[in-house]
Amino acid sequence: MSYFESRLPLNFDDFNDIQNRLNFCERLGIKNLILESQGKIVPLNLKKKIKIETKINIFYRINLRIDSVDEITFQLKKFDKISDILSIESINKKVQLYAAKDSRVDIISFSDTKILKSLTPGVISLTKQNNSFIEFSLAPIMESNKVLQSKNFRILYRFIHLANKLKANYIISGNFVDIYDFRHPRALISVCHTLLEIPLLSLKKIFIENPKIILEKVRDRNIEKLEDKMKIVKGGIKYGQK
Amino acid sequence: MVKSEKQRYIYFKILTENNYSLDQNYLLRSIWKSVWRFFGMKEANKIGLWLSELNLEVGYGIIRCSHLTKEIIISALTLIKEINGIKVILSPKKTSGTISSIKQKVK
Repeated sequence: MSYFESRLPLNFDDFNDIQNRLNFCERLGIKNLILESQGKIVPLNLKKKIKIETKINIFYRINLRIDSVDEITFQLKKFDKISDILSIESINKKVQLYAAKDSRVDIISFSDTKILKSLTPGVISLTKQNNSFIEFSLAPIMESNKVLQSKNFRILYRFIHLANKLKANYIISGNFVDIYDFRHPRALISVCHTLLEIPLLSLKKIFIENPKIILEKVRDRNIEKLEDKMKIVKGGIKYGQK
Repeated sequence: MVKSEKQRYIYFKILTENNYSLDQNYLLRSIWKSVWRFFGMKEANKIGLWLSELNLEVGYGIIRCSHLTKEIIISALTLIKEINGIKVILSPKKTSGTISSIKQKVK
Protein backbone atom coordinates (compact mmCIF):
# COMPACT_ATOMS: atom_id res chain seq x y z
CA MET A 1 0.00 0.00 0.00
CA SER A 2 1.12 3.58 -0.62
CA TYR A 3 0.62 6.88 1.16
CA PHE A 4 -2.52 7.55 3.18
CA GLU A 5 -4.57 10.69 3.41
CA SER A 6 -5.87 9.96 6.90
CA ARG A 7 -8.62 12.53 7.13
CA LEU A 8 -11.05 13.90 4.62
CA PRO A 9 -14.12 15.43 6.28
CA LEU A 10 -17.27 14.85 4.23
CA ASN A 11 -20.94 15.65 4.38
CA PHE A 12 -22.48 12.21 3.96
CA ASP A 13 -25.93 13.67 3.24
CA ASP A 14 -24.77 15.17 -0.06
CA PHE A 15 -23.74 12.40 -2.46
CA ASN A 16 -22.85 14.80 -5.31
CA ASP A 17 -20.37 16.57 -3.06
CA ILE A 18 -18.86 13.21 -2.07
CA GLN A 19 -18.52 12.24 -5.76
CA ASN A 20 -16.94 15.59 -6.59
CA ARG A 21 -14.38 15.37 -3.80
CA LEU A 22 -13.49 11.77 -4.54
CA ASN A 23 -13.01 12.58 -8.25
CA PHE A 24 -10.71 15.41 -7.28
CA CYS A 25 -8.69 13.09 -5.04
CA GLU A 26 -8.42 10.62 -7.93
CA ARG A 27 -7.12 13.40 -10.19
CA LEU A 28 -4.48 14.19 -7.57
CA GLY A 29 -3.45 10.52 -7.56
CA ILE A 30 -4.39 9.72 -3.96
CA LYS A 31 -4.57 5.93 -3.49
CA ASN A 32 -5.71 5.47 0.12
CA LEU A 33 -8.25 7.70 1.76
CA ILE A 34 -9.88 7.73 5.18
CA LEU A 35 -13.22 9.53 5.05
CA GLU A 36 -14.41 11.25 8.18
CA SER A 37 -17.93 11.54 9.40
CA GLN A 38 -18.66 13.98 12.24
CA GLY A 39 -20.37 11.94 14.95
CA LYS A 40 -22.53 9.82 12.61
CA ILE A 41 -22.24 6.20 11.56
CA VAL A 42 -22.02 5.90 7.77
CA PRO A 43 -24.74 3.50 6.52
CA LEU A 44 -23.56 0.29 4.84
CA ASN A 45 -25.47 0.95 1.59
CA LEU A 46 -23.79 4.35 1.24
CA LYS A 47 -20.40 2.73 1.78
CA LYS A 48 -21.17 0.25 -1.02
CA LYS A 49 -22.31 3.09 -3.28
CA ILE A 50 -19.08 5.02 -2.65
CA LYS A 51 -16.98 1.90 -3.29
CA ILE A 52 -18.55 1.54 -6.75
CA GLU A 53 -17.90 5.23 -7.53
CA THR A 54 -14.15 5.29 -7.03
CA LYS A 55 -10.93 3.36 -7.56
CA ILE A 56 -9.40 4.75 -4.34
CA ASN A 57 -9.11 2.43 -1.33
CA ILE A 58 -11.64 3.96 1.02
CA PHE A 59 -11.72 3.58 4.79
CA TYR A 60 -13.92 5.30 7.35
CA ARG A 61 -13.52 7.06 10.65
CA ILE A 62 -15.89 8.71 13.07
CA ASN A 63 -14.72 11.86 14.80
CA LEU A 64 -16.29 12.99 18.05
CA ARG A 65 -15.83 16.55 19.28
CA ILE A 66 -16.39 16.32 23.01
CA ASP A 67 -16.13 18.91 25.78
CA SER A 68 -16.82 17.03 29.02
CA VAL A 69 -15.98 13.72 30.68
CA ASP A 70 -19.67 12.86 31.18
CA GLU A 71 -20.27 13.27 27.47
CA ILE A 72 -17.35 11.06 26.49
CA THR A 73 -18.57 8.15 28.65
CA PHE A 74 -22.03 8.46 27.06
CA GLN A 75 -20.71 8.78 23.51
CA LEU A 76 -18.26 5.89 23.83
CA LYS A 77 -21.11 3.59 24.89
CA LYS A 78 -23.08 4.76 21.87
CA PHE A 79 -20.22 4.07 19.44
CA ASP A 80 -19.11 0.87 21.10
CA LYS A 81 -20.09 -1.43 18.25
CA ILE A 82 -18.83 0.51 15.22
CA SER A 83 -16.55 -1.11 12.68
CA ASP A 84 -14.74 2.12 11.75
CA ILE A 85 -11.86 4.06 13.26
CA LEU A 86 -12.92 6.14 16.25
CA SER A 87 -11.23 9.45 16.97
CA ILE A 88 -11.76 11.96 19.74
CA GLU A 89 -11.08 15.67 19.55
CA SER A 90 -11.26 17.87 22.62
CA ILE A 91 -9.70 20.96 24.13
CA ASN A 92 -10.44 19.61 27.64
CA LYS A 93 -7.35 17.87 29.04
CA LYS A 94 -9.45 15.55 31.22
CA VAL A 95 -11.30 14.30 28.13
CA GLN A 96 -7.99 13.80 26.33
CA LEU A 97 -6.62 11.74 29.24
CA TYR A 98 -9.85 9.70 29.44
CA ALA A 99 -9.72 9.01 25.70
CA ALA A 100 -6.05 8.07 25.86
CA LYS A 101 -6.81 5.50 28.60
CA ASP A 102 -9.79 3.98 26.75
CA SER A 103 -8.96 1.10 24.42
CA ARG A 104 -12.01 1.82 22.21
CA VAL A 105 -10.46 5.09 21.02
CA ASP A 106 -8.03 4.69 18.13
CA ILE A 107 -6.96 8.29 17.54
CA ILE A 108 -6.77 11.38 19.71
CA SER A 109 -6.89 14.25 17.30
CA PHE A 110 -5.05 17.56 17.68
CA SER A 111 -6.01 19.08 14.38
CA ASP A 112 -6.87 22.60 15.45
CA THR A 113 -4.10 24.95 16.68
CA LYS A 114 -6.12 25.76 19.82
CA ILE A 115 -6.48 22.06 20.63
CA LEU A 116 -2.86 21.44 19.66
CA LYS A 117 -1.65 23.85 22.32
CA SER A 118 -3.33 21.65 24.97
CA LEU A 119 -1.21 18.58 24.11
CA THR A 120 0.69 17.30 27.15
CA PRO A 121 3.37 14.62 27.64
CA GLY A 122 0.84 12.73 29.83
CA VAL A 123 -1.49 12.12 26.87
CA ILE A 124 1.43 11.02 24.71
CA SER A 125 2.57 8.55 27.37
CA LEU A 126 -0.95 7.08 27.77
CA THR A 127 -1.41 6.68 24.00
CA LYS A 128 1.86 4.79 23.89
CA GLN A 129 0.65 2.44 26.63
CA ASN A 130 -2.69 1.79 24.87
CA ASN A 131 -1.27 1.54 21.33
CA SER A 132 -3.50 4.37 20.18
CA PHE A 133 -2.33 7.28 18.05
CA ILE A 134 -2.10 11.04 18.16
CA GLU A 135 -3.09 12.96 15.07
CA PHE A 136 -1.66 16.22 13.78
CA SER A 137 -3.28 18.03 10.93
CA LEU A 138 -1.72 20.19 8.22
CA ALA A 139 -4.86 22.21 7.46
CA PRO A 140 -3.67 25.29 9.46
CA ILE A 141 -0.61 25.72 7.23
CA MET A 142 -2.77 26.45 4.18
CA GLU A 143 -3.64 29.83 5.68
CA SER A 144 -3.30 32.77 3.24
CA ASN A 145 -2.33 35.31 5.89
CA LYS A 146 1.48 35.18 6.23
CA VAL A 147 1.54 36.05 9.94
CA LEU A 148 -1.05 33.43 10.89
CA GLN A 149 0.59 30.87 8.64
CA SER A 150 3.99 31.31 10.28
CA LYS A 151 2.38 31.11 13.74
CA ASN A 152 0.65 27.89 12.76
CA PHE A 153 3.92 26.47 11.44
CA ARG A 154 5.60 27.35 14.74
CA ILE A 155 2.89 25.64 16.82
CA LEU A 156 3.00 22.52 14.66
CA TYR A 157 6.81 22.50 14.79
CA ARG A 158 6.82 22.72 18.60
CA PHE A 159 4.33 19.95 19.22
CA ILE A 160 5.48 17.55 16.50
CA HIS A 161 9.00 17.83 17.91
CA LEU A 162 7.63 17.21 21.41
CA ALA A 163 5.93 14.06 20.06
CA ASN A 164 9.16 13.02 18.32
CA LYS A 165 11.19 13.56 21.48
CA LEU A 166 8.81 11.39 23.51
CA LYS A 167 8.72 8.76 20.73
CA ALA A 168 4.95 9.08 20.39
CA ASN A 169 2.79 7.08 18.02
CA TYR A 170 1.41 9.67 15.67
CA ILE A 171 -0.02 10.28 12.23
CA ILE A 172 -0.21 13.44 10.14
CA SER A 173 -3.29 14.11 8.09
CA GLY A 174 -4.42 16.79 5.66
CA ASN A 175 -7.91 17.51 7.01
CA PHE A 176 -8.51 20.05 4.23
CA VAL A 177 -12.03 21.35 3.75
CA ASP A 178 -11.66 23.44 0.59
CA ILE A 179 -11.21 21.30 -2.51
CA TYR A 180 -8.34 23.50 -3.77
CA ASP A 181 -6.43 22.93 -0.53
CA PHE A 182 -6.25 19.17 -1.14
CA ARG A 183 -2.72 17.88 -1.67
CA HIS A 184 -1.19 14.48 -2.36
CA PRO A 185 0.34 12.96 0.83
CA ARG A 186 3.75 12.71 -0.91
CA ALA A 187 3.71 16.48 -1.41
CA LEU A 188 2.77 16.92 2.26
CA ILE A 189 5.77 14.75 3.20
CA SER A 190 8.04 17.25 1.42
CA VAL A 191 6.45 20.14 3.29
CA CYS A 192 6.92 18.37 6.64
CA HIS A 193 10.52 17.48 5.75
CA THR A 194 11.60 20.92 4.62
CA LEU A 195 9.62 23.20 6.91
CA LEU A 196 9.00 21.09 10.02
CA GLU A 197 12.37 19.31 9.86
CA ILE A 198 11.05 15.77 10.26
CA PRO A 199 13.32 13.10 8.74
CA LEU A 200 12.03 11.52 5.51
CA LEU A 201 12.26 7.99 6.92
CA SER A 202 10.03 8.75 9.90
CA LEU A 203 7.64 10.62 7.62
CA LYS A 204 7.22 7.53 5.47
CA LYS A 205 6.39 5.61 8.64
CA ILE A 206 3.90 8.31 9.66
CA PHE A 207 2.15 8.45 6.28
CA ILE A 208 2.27 4.74 5.32
CA GLU A 209 2.82 2.38 8.24
CA ASN A 210 1.01 4.08 11.12
CA PRO A 211 -2.38 4.39 9.32
CA LYS A 212 -1.98 0.72 8.34
CA ILE A 213 -1.43 -0.23 12.00
CA ILE A 214 -4.63 1.63 12.96
CA LEU A 215 -6.61 -0.12 10.22
CA GLU A 216 -5.25 -3.52 11.26
CA LYS A 217 -6.18 -2.79 14.88
CA VAL A 218 -9.74 -1.93 13.82
CA ARG A 219 -9.95 -5.05 11.62
CA ASP A 220 -8.76 -7.30 14.49
CA ARG A 221 -11.32 -5.70 16.80
CA ASN A 222 -14.09 -6.43 14.29
CA ILE A 223 -13.00 -10.06 13.94
CA GLU A 224 -13.03 -10.43 17.75
CA LYS A 225 -16.57 -9.01 17.88
CA LEU A 226 -17.68 -11.42 15.15
CA GLU A 227 -16.16 -14.39 16.99
CA ASP A 228 -18.02 -13.40 20.18
CA LYS A 229 -21.33 -13.50 18.32
CA MET A 230 -20.66 -16.88 16.65
CA LYS A 231 -22.16 -20.05 18.13
CA ILE A 232 -21.13 -23.62 17.33
CA VAL A 233 -23.88 -25.46 15.47
CA LYS A 234 -23.91 -29.26 15.33
CA GLY A 235 -26.03 -30.99 12.67
CA GLY A 236 -28.13 -27.89 12.07
CA ILE A 237 -29.23 -27.80 15.70
CA LYS A 238 -27.76 -25.44 18.25
CA TYR A 239 -25.22 -27.27 20.37
CA GLY A 240 -26.73 -28.14 23.74
CA GLN A 241 -30.32 -27.95 22.42
CA LYS A 242 -32.43 -31.09 22.79
CA MET B 1 37.86 16.94 -6.43
CA VAL B 2 34.61 18.88 -6.73
CA LYS B 3 31.58 16.68 -7.36
CA SER B 4 29.43 17.81 -10.25
CA GLU B 5 25.91 18.78 -9.28
CA LYS B 6 23.22 16.32 -10.33
CA GLN B 7 19.92 17.46 -11.71
CA ARG B 8 16.38 16.35 -11.09
CA TYR B 9 13.33 16.74 -13.29
CA ILE B 10 9.98 17.18 -11.56
CA TYR B 11 6.78 16.49 -13.47
CA PHE B 12 3.78 18.29 -11.99
CA LYS B 13 0.10 18.52 -12.84
CA ILE B 14 -1.74 21.83 -12.97
CA LEU B 15 -5.33 21.89 -11.72
CA THR B 16 -7.11 25.24 -11.94
CA GLU B 17 -10.50 26.50 -10.83
CA ASN B 18 -12.99 26.17 -13.72
CA ASN B 19 -10.13 24.91 -15.97
CA TYR B 20 -8.90 28.50 -16.33
CA SER B 21 -5.76 28.75 -18.47
CA LEU B 22 -2.69 30.24 -16.77
CA ASP B 23 0.07 32.42 -18.13
CA GLN B 24 3.63 31.04 -18.13
CA ASN B 25 5.12 34.23 -16.66
CA TYR B 26 2.65 34.29 -13.80
CA LEU B 27 3.31 30.62 -13.08
CA LEU B 28 7.09 31.06 -12.91
CA ARG B 29 6.76 34.21 -10.86
CA SER B 30 4.53 32.45 -8.33
CA ILE B 31 6.95 29.49 -8.03
CA TRP B 32 9.81 31.90 -7.25
CA LYS B 33 7.55 33.83 -4.89
CA SER B 34 6.72 30.63 -3.02
CA VAL B 35 10.41 29.65 -2.80
CA TRP B 36 11.24 33.11 -1.43
CA ARG B 37 8.32 33.16 1.00
CA PHE B 38 9.04 29.80 2.59
CA PHE B 39 12.79 29.32 2.17
CA GLY B 40 14.38 32.74 1.55
CA MET B 41 17.68 33.64 -0.06
CA LYS B 42 19.56 30.84 1.74
CA GLU B 43 17.81 28.13 -0.30
CA ALA B 44 16.75 30.14 -3.35
CA ASN B 45 20.34 30.53 -4.53
CA LYS B 46 20.91 26.75 -4.54
CA ILE B 47 17.87 25.77 -6.57
CA GLY B 48 18.91 26.25 -10.20
CA LEU B 49 15.30 26.36 -11.32
CA TRP B 50 14.57 25.87 -15.03
CA LEU B 51 11.18 25.34 -16.62
CA SER B 52 11.88 22.56 -19.13
CA GLU B 53 8.39 22.11 -20.46
CA LEU B 54 4.98 23.60 -19.88
CA ASN B 55 1.74 22.53 -21.48
CA LEU B 56 -1.07 24.72 -20.21
CA GLU B 57 -3.69 23.11 -22.45
CA VAL B 58 -3.18 19.59 -21.09
CA GLY B 59 -2.20 20.99 -17.67
CA TYR B 60 1.28 19.80 -16.83
CA GLY B 61 4.82 21.10 -16.51
CA ILE B 62 8.36 19.81 -16.08
CA ILE B 63 10.83 21.66 -13.88
CA ARG B 64 14.56 21.07 -13.67
CA CYS B 65 16.39 21.72 -10.39
CA SER B 66 19.41 20.64 -8.39
CA HIS B 67 19.07 17.19 -6.75
CA LEU B 68 19.80 18.74 -3.34
CA THR B 69 16.82 21.07 -3.56
CA LYS B 70 14.24 18.63 -4.93
CA GLU B 71 12.22 18.56 -1.71
CA ILE B 72 12.28 22.36 -1.50
CA ILE B 73 10.82 22.71 -4.98
CA ILE B 74 8.12 20.10 -4.24
CA SER B 75 7.21 22.01 -1.05
CA ALA B 76 7.15 25.34 -2.87
CA LEU B 77 4.86 23.88 -5.57
CA THR B 78 2.63 22.32 -2.91
CA LEU B 79 2.20 25.54 -0.98
CA ILE B 80 1.05 27.60 -3.97
CA LYS B 81 -2.68 28.20 -3.55
CA GLU B 82 -3.44 31.00 -5.97
CA ILE B 83 -1.97 32.40 -9.16
CA ASN B 84 -3.23 35.78 -10.27
CA GLY B 85 -6.38 35.39 -8.17
CA ILE B 86 -7.22 31.92 -9.51
CA LYS B 87 -7.28 28.96 -7.16
CA VAL B 88 -4.72 26.45 -8.35
CA ILE B 89 -3.03 23.18 -7.38
CA LEU B 90 0.46 22.36 -8.66
CA SER B 91 0.66 18.70 -7.77
CA PRO B 92 4.09 17.04 -8.16
CA LYS B 93 3.67 13.60 -9.72
CA LYS B 94 7.09 12.18 -10.46
CA THR B 95 10.74 13.05 -10.14
CA SER B 96 13.55 11.63 -12.20
CA GLY B 97 17.21 12.14 -13.04
CA THR B 98 16.62 12.06 -16.79
CA ILE B 99 14.17 13.96 -18.95
CA SER B 100 13.44 10.87 -21.09
CA SER B 101 11.91 8.85 -18.22
CA ILE B 102 9.81 11.82 -17.20
CA LYS B 103 8.52 12.17 -20.76
CA GLN B 104 7.53 8.52 -20.76
CA LYS B 105 5.39 9.25 -17.71
CA VAL B 106 3.78 12.19 -19.53
CA LYS B 107 2.83 9.92 -22.46
